[in-house]
Amino acid sequence: MKRLLCTMLFVLPLITLCACGTAPKPKEEAAAGFAPKLSTEEKCKITVAGSYDNFEALEAEFDRFNKFYPNVQLNYVKLDDYNNVLATVLEGNDRPNIFFSYTWMIGNDQYKPVVAHMEELSDTALGLNLSCIRPGLLNHDADGKVMLVPVFSRTYGMLVNNDLFEKEGQKIPTSFDEMIKVCDAFKAKGIKSPMMGYTQKSSGCFMNTVAYPQFTATLAKDPDALAKANALDPAAGESMRPALGAVERLIESGCIDLAECDKIEDNYTQVILRFFEGDVPMMICTGDTVSGTKKRESQSEAFTASPFKYTFHPIPLSDQGGYFIDSPSVQFSVNKDCDNLDMTNEFMRFLITSEELNQMASMKRLVTPTTDFSLDPVYAPFGQVPAERTISPEVLGITDPLTVQIRIASYQVGKGEITIDDAVKKYGSFE
Amino acid sequence: MKKYWIIFVNVIIMLAMLSFVVIYSNQTSRNTTQRQIEHFENTTITMEHVTENYLEGEQRICDVWARYINSKEMTMEDAISFIRISHVLPNASAHIVYEDTLSGLSTRAKSEGSEDYSVSYARIGLLNDVSWIKAIGESINISRAYTNPVNGEQSIAFCNAVTLHDEETGEPKKAILLRVLPLSELEEKWVFPQEEFSNAELSMIDDDGDYIIKGHSFKNSSFFEFYRSYNQADPAFMQELEQKLSSSTGYFTMQNSRGEECILAYTPIAAAGGWTLLNMMPMKDLIVNNENWMLIGFVSAGLLILFVFDLSVILGINKQLQVAAREAAAANKAKTDFLSTMSHDIRTPMNAIIGLTTIAEKNLNDPAAVGEHLQKISMASNHLLTLINDILDISKVESGKLSLSPLTFSIVETVENLVNLSQPMVKEKNIEFNFRVGKMDMEYLYADQLRLNQIYINILSNAIKYTEPGGRVSVDIYEEESEKPGCVKLTYRVSDTGIGMSPEFMETMYQPFSRQTDSRVNSIQGTGLGLAITKQMVDLMGGIIDCQSEQGKGTTFTVVLDLPIAERQREDMELDPMDVLVADDDQILLDTVVDALQSLGVTAFPARSGQEALELIKARHESGKDYDIVILDWKMPGLDGIETTRRIRKEIGTELPILLISAYDWADMEELAKEAGASGFVSKPLFRSKLYDKINALLGKEVKSVEPENDYSDLQGMNILIAEDNDINWEIISAMLEMFGITSERAENGRICVEKMKEAKKGSYDLIFMDIQMPEMNGLEATRNIRKLEDPWASSIPIIAMTADAFSENVTECLNAGMNGHIAKPIDIKLVVKEIRRIKEKKS
Repeated sequence: MKRLLCTMLFVLPLITLCACGTAPKPKEEAAAGFAPKLSTEEKCKITVAGSYDNFEALEAEFDRFNKFYPNVQLNYVKLDDYNNVLATVLEGNDRPNIFFSYTWMIGNDQYKPVVAHMEELSDTALGLNLSCIRPGLLNHDADGKVMLVPVFSRTYGMLVNNDLFEKEGQKIPTSFDEMIKVCDAFKAKGIKSPMMGYTQKSSGCFMNTVAYPQFTATLAKDPDALAKANALDPAAGESMRPALGAVERLIESGCIDLAECDKIEDNYTQVILRFFEGDVPMMICTGDTVSGTKKRESQSEAFTASPFKYTFHPIPLSDQGGYFIDSPSVQFSVNKDCDNLDMTNEFMRFLITSEELNQMASMKRLVTPTTDFSLDPVYAPFGQVPAERTISPEVLGITDPLTVQIRIASYQVGKGEITIDDAVKKYGSFE
Repeated sequence: MKKYWIIFVNVIIMLAMLSFVVIYSNQTSRNTTQRQIEHFENTTITMEHVTENYLEGEQRICDVWARYINSKEMTMEDAISFIRISHVLPNASAHIVYEDTLSGLSTRAKSEGSEDYSVSYARIGLLNDVSWIKAIGESINISRAYTNPVNGEQSIAFCNAVTLHDEETGEPKKAILLRVLPLSELEEKWVFPQEEFSNAELSMIDDDGDYIIKGHSFKNSSFFEFYRSYNQADPAFMQELEQKLSSSTGYFTMQNSRGEECILAYTPIAAAGGWTLLNMMPMKDLIVNNENWMLIGFVSAGLLILFVFDLSVILGINKQLQVAAREAAAANKAKTDFLSTMSHDIRTPMNAIIGLTTIAEKNLNDPAAVGEHLQKISMASNHLLTLINDILDISKVESGKLSLSPLTFSIVETVENLVNLSQPMVKEKNIEFNFRVGKMDMEYLYADQLRLNQIYINILSNAIKYTEPGGRVSVDIYEEESEKPGCVKLTYRVSDTGIGMSPEFMETMYQPFSRQTDSRVNSIQGTGLGLAITKQMVDLMGGIIDCQSEQGKGTTFTVVLDLPIAERQREDMELDPMDVLVADDDQILLDTVVDALQSLGVTAFPARSGQEALELIKARHESGKDYDIVILDWKMPGLDGIETTRRIRKEIGTELPILLISAYDWADMEELAKEAGASGFVSKPLFRSKLYDKINALLGKEVKSVEPENDYSDLQGMNILIAEDNDINWEIISAMLEMFGITSERAENGRICVEKMKEAKKGSYDLIFMDIQMPEMNGLEATRNIRKLEDPWASSIPIIAMTADAFSENVTECLNAGMNGHIAKPIDIKLVVKEIRRIKEKKS
C-alpha cells in the first residue's frame, strides 16, 4: 500500500509536468494518395473565377491543397455578369487560372474566345484522374478532347421526409402508381398536399422538374423525335405528351395542391424552408435546390426544433421507377494562358479525384460527378438508379432551346393555362 | 512524520510551486497577449484612419470631377473627354452611365487599339438602386468590389450623381460618374504596416456583411456567412454581431476555415457609412510565450530532480535507519543474551568458589581436604579471571576501542612462552604434541605481542581443550616472504585430532558466546568468546584466519599475519665448522633442525631413529672421527632419546656432548636424562638462535644446569616498595612475596611512594610495585615524579605496574610513564617472580 502510494505520489508530478506541455495537435487530415509533383515551397497565386456568390466547398479544398503547398494562395472570385464578362476577363489583367465553363459554350461562336483559352484536360501529361467521373458527364469535343471537367452534377427529383414516411407507415414509392397511392394515404392522414414544389414562375417550377426527365426519356428512345425536338419541329410535340400527362395527373389526383404550392415565394430558400416545416412528405425540386438544405437547417426554426432525416430521390414516373437525369452543373476549365499554369494543373490533379470531388459535393450538397455516391446519404438513392434509367442529356444531344419548350409547356399545362393537346401543338413556339 | 507523509508534503509543495509558476506564467502570457491584442486593435484603428484618408482622397477627386461636370452642362462625350484629360493614374479609369439605361462611356477602350468606349452596368447589379450615392461631398460613395465590364478586372468605384445634357435634345439627363480603381492595386497598397502582424489580413464589409474588399483567409461572399460556417452561432448572436460590427470598435475570437483560433479586430469606417474594417490574424501568431514554457519546463525539471534526489536521500536514510533499528534490536537482544550468559557463566565458577570456601572453612582441621578444595577454588578463580578478561576484550572489540600497541619483541620468546603455557595442559591430557618451527630468519618483529600471544594461545588452547586424551595436536610456525615491504608473512597453523566442528557451527563460530552444542563440549569449560576475540584481533592486525574442520576428525586453524620486521635483529650467528648428528622420527622437524644447523655453518647429519643415530655414532667413533655434538629427540619410537643417550654413554663414552630435545616439559624427565648422561636440554621448538646459544654454551663446557623450579634462593633478601592503597591487596602481595623471602614496605598512595623514594638511601629497595589508581597521586604521576628525582639510583629504580588496568593501552601508558613492566591483577605469583627475576637479570 505504501509502495503504491509512493508510486502515485511520484507519478503525479510527472503527469502534472506532462499536462503543462502543450497538447499535440491531432494530425490533420490530408488527402490520402496525393503526392506533390512540384516543389512544396513554391509561392504563387491561383484564382478560380465563377458565377457563384460564394464557393465555400471550393475554399475548403484550397485549405486542403495548402497542406501540401502551404505557400500557394488560392482565391475564388465571383465575376459579375459572368457569361458576358468571361471572355473579357480571360483577356484582361486579372486572368483567372481556372474558370467555370459550360457545355453549351463549346461550338457557340460567342464563346469562341473563351474556348480558345481552355486547356485540354484529357492530356495524359497532366495526370488528371478523369476516370473517377461518370462517363455521361464528360463532354468530348469532335477530336475527343476534354476541355471542361464537371465538379458537380445537376439532376431532378424530390426531397423525401423519411421520418414522416416512417411515422405514417408508408414506403417511399418506386412507381408512379405507388406514388399516387402514397399520396392518397397521406391525404387521408390530413396532409393537404403530399407533394409540393415551386409554381410562381416557369423557371425552377416543379412542373418542369417532373416533365423534363420524362420528356428526355421519351426522346432517348426515339432519335428521330429527338432530332425534330432539337430543331423545334412541332412534330416533336407528341413526345411531350407522356411528360405533360404525368404533371396533369399528379395535380388532378390531388397529390399536389397548387394553392398550397403558390404560397412558396421562390424556388430555392422558400422551397427548402417549406420542406423543413416537416409536414411535406415529398418536395419536388432540382439538385441545385437541395444544395441549399445543409446551410438552411440551422436557419429553419421548425427544423431546428424537430429535425428529421431526409433524402433526395428520382420521381418515380414510370412503372419501373424514376429517371436519373445526369447533367453537369458546374464544370472547370483551366486557362492555358494563365500565370502559374503548372501549379494550376497540380491543383486540378489534386481536385479531380473521387475523394476531393465527393468532399466538395458533400459540403456544397450537390450531386457528386463521381461514381461513388456513398459520401452524402442525401443523394444515395441516385446511386441505386440502374444504368438504363440514367440519361445524360449532353450525351444524348439535347439542346437548350428544347429545354425551354418543355419547361414552358409543362408550366402552362400545370397551371391549367393550356391543355396538353394545345401544348403538343404549340411545340417550338414557346418562348 | 511517516515517510509517505513527507513525500506527500513534498509533492504538494512541488505542485503548489508548479501551479504558481504556471498561473504566473499564464497570467504574464495573458497580459502579453492582451497587450498585443490591444496593439492589434489600435493598429486596426490606425488602418481605418489610413483607409478613410485614402477613400476620402479618392472620393474628393470624384467629387471635383462631378462638380465640374455639373457646372458646365456637359454632354456624355464632353464629360468623358474632360475626365480623360484630367485622369493620370495608369490603371484607373472612369465610367459615366445614364441612370435610366445604365449604359454610357468609359475613359478607356475595351481593348488595346479598340475604338469601343461603350460601357454597360445593366447586367451588373451595382447601379440598379443608386440611393446609396449621396450628394457630392456628403459622403464617400464607394461601390462593392465588382467586375469592371470594360476590362474584366475586379474593381471598386467611387461614385457621384451628375447631370449631363442630351446631345440631341439638350435636356438634362441624370447619370452616374464612377471613378474605377482595380482591386489588385488597392490590395497591394493595403498591406498591414507592422511586421509582427505580417500574417494579419484585412477585409472591408458593408452593413450586410458582404465583402467590399476581401482578404485571402476570409471565406464566402459574406463575412457573416463565413462566421456562421465555421463557428457556432444562433440567430440572436448573429444579430448582435452584425450590430456590433457596424457600430463599434473591438475584437473577438473566432475559428477560421482551417479550424484555427483567430483574433478579429473590427472598426467602422466613419466616412463610409455602414462599412466596417475587419482585421484577422491567427492567435498562434499573436501569442509568443515560448519563454514561459521554457521557464515552466525548467522549474518542473528542477523540482522533479530535487524531488527524486530528496526521495532517494530519504529512502536511503530510511534504509539506514531500518538497518540501525535492526542492529539496535539485535544489539539489545545480544545484550540480554549477554547478561543472561554472563549471569550463568560468572555464577558457575563463583558458585564453586563460594561453595568450596564454605566447605573448606568447615574442614579446617583436615589439611588434605582443605588443600584439595583450595586447588579447586584456584581453578575456578582462574576460569573466572579468563572469563572476565575475555568479556573485557570482547566489549572493547565491540565498542571499537580495541587498539594495538606494537612493540619490538622476540618471536622466539613468544613461541617458547606458548610452548611453556601449553605444556601443563598437554601433560594433563596426555596428548601427542608436536611443535614444528620452520624457517624463522627474523627473530625480532614489531607488533602487539600481547595480542599476538592471545591469538596463538586461544587457538592452541582450544585445540588442546577439544582433543581427547591420546589425540594429537600439531603446531607449525614459519616465516615467508611478505608482499608487504618490510614485513614477514608469519603463518601459524594448529591441527588437532579433536572433536571437530559441524558446518552449521562453523558459520557462526566467530560470533561471541558461540559454543557448539555437543555433549562432549558441555563438559569443557569455555566462555564462547575466545574465537570471537581471536578473529577480531586477526582482523585488526590485517591478517587472515582460516579454519578447516570435520566433525569427529579434527580441526585445523591457520593464521597468517604480515608483521613488520623490527630494526633490531641478532648479529650474524656463525658456529665453528663441526659435524652434528641430529636424530628425530619426525621428518619435518628433522629437516628443520638440519636446515637451521647448516645455516649456522655446521655440517648436520640426520638420523630418523635412536637406533640409526647409535649406529652412525658408532661408525664415526670407529673411524676415529666422532661427531662434535649429538642432538637427540626425547620421544622416538624404539630407542627414545634417554635410552639412546644411555647406550651412547655406555658404548662410546662420556666425551660426546649430547643435547636432548623435547616438546614437553622436561622437568619430569630431568633426573632420568641426567642419569642417562645427557649434557643438556633444549626444548622444542628449535630456533636457529636457540641452537646457536645452546651449542655455544655446550662447546664452552658451560652446560647450564637447569634451574630447579622450586629454587627461589636468588630472591632472598630483596626488598620491594609496594605502592598500594588497598589494604587487602597489600596484604596479599606482601604475604606472597614473603613466601619467597622477599621483604616489602608499603606506600599508601603515590605521593607517599615518591616521598619514601626521596628519603630512601641508595639500595634500600630493589624495585617498586606500583598500583595505578590511588588517592592523592596515582601511580603514573608518582612514576613520573620518581623518574625526575635527582638521585640517580632513585630515579632509575625499576618500577613495575601492578594494576587491575589490564588492557594493552594501559600497559603502554605505564611504559610511557617510565615504568619497566606491567603485572595485571589479580596477580599470578609465578608471573610476579618471573618479572622480578627479569628485572634482576637486567640489573646484573
